Amino acid sequence: MSESEPAPLLSVDRVTKRFPGVTALKDVCLSLQPGEVLALIGENGAGKSTLMKILAGVQLPDEGTIRVAGNSVTLDSVHTSQSQGIALIHQELNLSGNLDVGANIFLGREPRRFGLIDKDTIRKKSRALLKRLGLNVDPDTLVDHLPIGQQQLVEIARALSVDARVLIMDEPTSSLSQHETERLMQVVKELRCDGVSVIYISHRLREVMELADRVTVFRDGENAGELTREEMTHDSMVQLMVGRDVSQFYSRQPHPPGDVALEVSAITSPLDPGQRLSFQVRQGEIVGVSGLVGAGRSEMLEVVFGVRPTLQGHVKVGGRQLRLRSPVDAVEAGLALVPEDRKKQGVILELAVRTNIGLAGLRRHRRLGAFLNEAQEKADSAAMVKKLRIKTPGDLQTVQFLSGGNQQKVVLGKWLAMEPTVLLLDEPTRGIDIGAKHEIYTLMDQLAAAGMAILFVSSEMEEIIGMSDRVIVMHEGRITGELPREQLTEQSVMQLATGG
Amino acid sequence: MKKNLGILAVIAVVFIVTAIGGDGFLSAFNLYNLVERISLYAIIGIGVSFVIVTGGIDLSIGSFIGLCAVTFPFLVIGHNVSLTTGLLLLLTMSVCAGLFHGLLVTKLDLQPFVVTLCTLMMYRGVARHLVSDSTMGYSDERFQPLSLMVGRLSELPWFEGQAWARHVPVALLIMIVIGVLAAVFLNRTIYGRDLMALGRNREAAHLSGINTTKMIILAYVLCSVTSGFGALLFALDVVSVQPSTFGSFYELYAIAAAVLGGCSLRGGEGSIFGVILGAALMRLLMNSIQMLGVSDALEEFVIGFVILLGVIIDVIVKRVVAKRRARQQATVAAGAE
Amino acid sequence: MLKLKLTRLVALMMAVSLVTFAGCSDDSSDKPSVAYVTNGVASFWVIAEKGALDGAKEFDADVKVIMPKDVEDQKRKCEDLLARGTDGIAISPIDSANQAQLLKQISELTTLITHDSDAPDSDRLCYIGMDNYTAGRMCGALVKEALPEGGEIMIFVGRLGQENARLRRQGVIDELMDRSHDSSRYDEPGTSINEGGKYTVLDTRTDGFDFAKAKAQAQDAISKYPNLKGMVGLFAYNPPKILDAVREANKLEQIQVIGFDEEAETLQGIQDGEVYGTVVQNPYRYGFESVRVLSALARGDKSVIPEDGFLDIPARQIRKDNVDEFRAELDRLTSTAPAADSGDEEGSDEATEADAAAVSETDSQ
Repeated sequence: MSESEPAPLLSVDRVTKRFPGVTALKDVCLSLQPGEVLALIGENGAGKSTLMKILAGVQLPDEGTIRVAGNSVTLDSVHTSQSQGIALIHQELNLSGNLDVGANIFLGREPRRFGLIDKDTIRKKSRALLKRLGLNVDPDTLVDHLPIGQQQLVEIARALSVDARVLIMDEPTSSLSQHETERLMQVVKELRCDGVSVIYISHRLREVMELADRVTVFRDGENAGELTREEMTHDSMVQLMVGRDVSQFYSRQPHPPGDVALEVSAITSPLDPGQRLSFQVRQGEIVGVSGLVGAGRSEMLEVVFGVRPTLQGHVKVGGRQLRLRSPVDAVEAGLALVPEDRKKQGVILELAVRTNIGLAGLRRHRRLGAFLNEAQEKADSAAMVKKLRIKTPGDLQTVQFLSGGNQQKVVLGKWLAMEPTVLLLDEPTRGIDIGAKHEIYTLMDQLAAAGMAILFVSSEMEEIIGMSDRVIVMHEGRITGELPREQLTEQSVMQLATGG
Repeated sequence: MKKNLGILAVIAVVFIVTAIGGDGFLSAFNLYNLVERISLYAIIGIGVSFVIVTGGIDLSIGSFIGLCAVTFPFLVIGHNVSLTTGLLLLLTMSVCAGLFHGLLVTKLDLQPFVVTLCTLMMYRGVARHLVSDSTMGYSDERFQPLSLMVGRLSELPWFEGQAWARHVPVALLIMIVIGVLAAVFLNRTIYGRDLMALGRNREAAHLSGINTTKMIILAYVLCSVTSGFGALLFALDVVSVQPSTFGSFYELYAIAAAVLGGCSLRGGEGSIFGVILGAALMRLLMNSIQMLGVSDALEEFVIGFVILLGVIIDVIVKRVVAKRRARQQATVAAGAE
Repeated sequence: MLKLKLTRLVALMMAVSLVTFAGCSDDSSDKPSVAYVTNGVASFWVIAEKGALDGAKEFDADVKVIMPKDVEDQKRKCEDLLARGTDGIAISPIDSANQAQLLKQISELTTLITHDSDAPDSDRLCYIGMDNYTAGRMCGALVKEALPEGGEIMIFVGRLGQENARLRRQGVIDELMDRSHDSSRYDEPGTSINEGGKYTVLDTRTDGFDFAKAKAQAQDAISKYPNLKGMVGLFAYNPPKILDAVREANKLEQIQVIGFDEEAETLQGIQDGEVYGTVVQNPYRYGFESVRVLSALARGDKSVIPEDGFLDIPARQIRKDNVDEFRAELDRLTSTAPAADSGDEEGSDEATEADAAAVSETDSQ
C-alpha cells in the first residue's frame, strides 16, 4: 500500500485464526476504501467465510488487528460489529419467514412507543429503505411469501437500517435467478454511489468482473494476490485461486454412447400435472438439464429417484421397468442421486467421512443378514478418499469440518462405492470452489467414459455447455426442447428456457 | 467410556459420600435392592433410547407399563389364560402399541410428543377401565415361574448353591443381556446405523436409500416391547398394581436416564452403556437420600438438581476435551510446518 | 485448566451439599429408632406426623416419618429403611393383600405394626387404628340423618385397593341398605346398588390421590346425575373437593355432603351448614400410639400389645352441634408441635399430654 492512498475505512492486518486441525487464516491482510466494491474470491476452504465471521463479530481472531477508520477495534460480538457499521449478509438468509418484512428489518431493534412496538414507524422506515433498494413490496407482507431474490433485498435493507458503512455479502446470488441477480448487482452499484463500501464474496467470476473495483484472492488461508480492475480477467483470477494454469477447464471428451441406460416415459410433470415428461440417457452419455430456477428440474430428478411418487408413466433402468415407491427402490435398481442441498440432503454432517461413504452400501454389504461389514466400509472409504482426493485428516473426521467441495466428494463417494449405472446430479458444483469443480468435471468425464449414464441439472450455463453431450431444457414444468452438443450456445439454451 | 466420564464421576461421588455417611448403605441387602432397581429402570431406559436416537420421544411408557401390568393378571387370573398365551398376548399388545405410535409418526407425520402424550392418557384410561380400577396382584401361584425373573440368581438352576449368586438379582442378568443385545443392535447392525443416520438427518438418510419410515416404526416397536417386558418385571417385583398410578412418571425416569447417559433429544446420539449409568445414578440417588436420612420431601429436588448438575458437568467435560484436542492438533500442525 | 477446576469445584460442592443434607439427621444413640410409614402424602398424615413426633419426644425415641407416593415407592422406601437399620416400622399398607412379601420381609428383619389400614394376614404385632367398617357404618348413619327421605348417593375415594377404603365404603353401603354387620362383604364398583330401600348408591369414583381429578370427578357426577342427593367422600381430601364442586354447581340445597376426616374446609363447611357431617379418625393418636408401641417393644416391653392385637382408636361423628368443640381441640393439637422447640419445653409437653388426654376422653364418648 503506498503512502498516497487515503486511509482505508476498514483494514485487516495479519490476522490468524486456528480451528481444531486446521489453520483457517494465516497472516491475512485486506483493506477497503470508502465507496469501494472489493471482491473477495478464493476456493472454498480458502478462509473467506472465516474472515467474514471475524469481521461480523461472530468469532475472534487468534492474532492480528482490525482497524475501522484507522482505530484498532475488538469485534467481540455481532452487536459491536454493527455499532462499527459493519453488516454481514449470510449466504443462507437469516430471516424469520413467519414475520413480516418490517418486523424482520427491525428485528431486535424495534422502535417503541409507550413500551409497545411502534408499528407505524416500522412501516414508514421500512418503506423508505425498500424504496431505496427499488423493492416495491408492502412492509406487512410475510417474508415467506416473497421470492428468494426479494428476501435477499430485505436482508440488505436490514443491514442498511443500522447505517452500515461496510456491507459484507457472502455469495449473495447463489440462489437467485438471472433477473434477480441483475437487480441485486444494480443495487450494489447504487450503494457504492451512496458511499457504502461492499465486500463481495462470490464464485461467479462474471459478476465479480462486472462489479468489483478490486479483487483480493485467498488461497489456503493466505493472501494469494490482488488484482486491479484492469488486471481482472477470468483466467487471471482462476490462476490465482487455483495456484496453477487452468487451460482446459471443462474436460469433456464425448464418446459414442452405448445402450439406453435410463428411460423415462411420459411421467406426470410434478409442477404441471397436465404435462408428461419423456427422455432417455444412454450409457457413457452426459445429459444436462437446463432451465430457469423453478422450471421443475430438481422435481423431475426426484420423481426418477422415487422421492416423489410416479403418478403416471414409467421409469426403466437398463430396460427393466421400476416400481418406485421410495429411494430404496431406486438405489436397488442402480440409480444414485447427488442432491441439490448438500448439507441438508447429501451428507450427515455430524457423522464421520467413513460412515457417510458407507451409508448407501450398508444393505448390500451386510453380513449374516443384519450386521455391518465394517471391513468393507473401511475399504470403500479408503478407496473413495483416495480416488476422489477428499481432503480430510482421516476418514473418521466428521464431515462438518470439511470444505463444501470435499463434502460434495463425500456424497459422490457414497454413491460411487455402490457402482451405480445411472448417476443423477443436481447442481453438483454449487457453492464449491474452482479446484474442486474441475475435479468433479474430470470425474464426470471419466465415469461416462467407463460407461455410466449421467443426468445433471445445473443453473450454470458455462458448465451445461462445457460438460453436456446433449441438453434437455425445461420451462415451467415441461420439456421445451433437446439440444445436441453441436447446437449448444447460450442463446439456444436461453431461448428454450424462457419458453421457446 | 470417555463420553460418560462426567456421569461416572457423579456416581462415584454420590456412592462414596453415601458409603461414608449412610448407615447400612454397603450392606448386602441394600446393594442387592439397589442393583435390582437399577436393572429394572435401565431396561426401560434402553427401550426409550431407541426412539430418542431417531429424534423422537415416547411419553407413553409409564402408562403403557401400567396397562401391561394390569392386563397380564387380568388375562391370567381373570380369564384363566395360560401363562404362555398371556405372554404372547402381552407381546402382541406391545408390538401393536409400537406400530401405532410409529405409523402415526411416520405416515401422518405427527409429532412424537403429541402422539405419545395422547396415548399416555389413553393407556391409563384403558388400564383403569379394564379392571374397574381395582388393584391387581401378582402374588398368585400361577405367576411363580415368572417371579424367578425378579428373584435371586441362586434360584436359577445354573447357579444353584453358589454363595455369590444369592446376592445377585436375576434382573441384573436380564438387564445385561438386553443391554448387550441393544448395544450390538445399535452399533453393529445396519439397522442401528440406519437409526443413528436418520436421527441426525432424516432427509439425507432417506435419499441414501435408507427406508426411514420402516426404521422409525421399528424403533417405536422396540421401545414398546421393551416397556411391555419392563412392565412385567416391575409388576412381579412390586406385586401390587394400582391401575391408576402404576408406572406414573416412569417415562420421565427412562428419558432422564437416557439423557444423562448421553442421548441427545435432537437424535442421532446415544450409548446403551450411558443409559445404564444414567439409570444407575438416579436409583443410587434415591437410595442415598434414604440412607443419608435426607428429608423425604427434598427427594425430587435433589434428583432434579443432580441430574442437571450431571448434564452440566458432562457438557463442560466435553468442551474441555474438545479444547485440548484442538490445542494438540494445533501443536501437531505447527510442528509439521 | 480453568474448566477442569470448575468441574472439581462442582463435584466438591455436591459432595459438601450431600454431607450437609446428611448432617440434618440426628445421629442415633441409645434411643430406639423407629419409622412411621404412611400410604400417601396428605394433610391427614401431617397431623399423624405431629403425633409421631410428639410421641418420639414423649417416649425418647427417634422417629422417621415417610410419606411414599405410591405402592412402588412404599416398597422401595421400606427396603431402604430396612437396609439402614431400624428398631421398628409402623406402616399403613397401600395394598395389604399383595404386599405380603414386603410385610413378611419387614417382620423378619424388624418389628412390624400396622396403623390406619390393617394387614391381618401378616405377622404384624398389632394394628393401631379404628375399625374402618364400623366407621363406614357411622358415616352411613350420617347420610341417613341428612337424607331421611332417601335418594341417590355417590361415593368418592382415592384408591379402592386399600383395605380401609374398601371397608369404609362397604360400611356406608351396608348401613344404607340396612344389611347386617359383616365386614367381609364386597360390592363391585361400577353398578348401582338399590335393595328396595330409600337409598341408591349409584357408583364409586377413584382418583388416585390426584386432587384436581377428585374435584373434576365430583363435578362430573353432579352433571351426570341431576337427581343426586348425597355425596360421600371417604378420604380426607375428598369432602372439600366435593363441597367445591357442589358450591360451584349451586346445588347446596339439593345435595348433602358427608365425609371422612377433619380437613379444615370440611369442618368450616359443617360450621356453615354446607356439609352435613363427617366421621373423624384420630391421626394424631395413630402417630403417637405407633411410636409409643414401637419404642416400648424396642425396649423389650411386650405389654403394650393388646390381647387381640387391635388397639382401637375409635372414630367419632362430627355434626354442626359438636364441630366448634372439636375444632378447638384440633387447633390446640396442631399448634403445639412447632412451639415444642421454643423455651418452655416443659409447658408444651404438658400441653401435649393434656391434649392427648382430652382426645382420649372424647374418643370414648
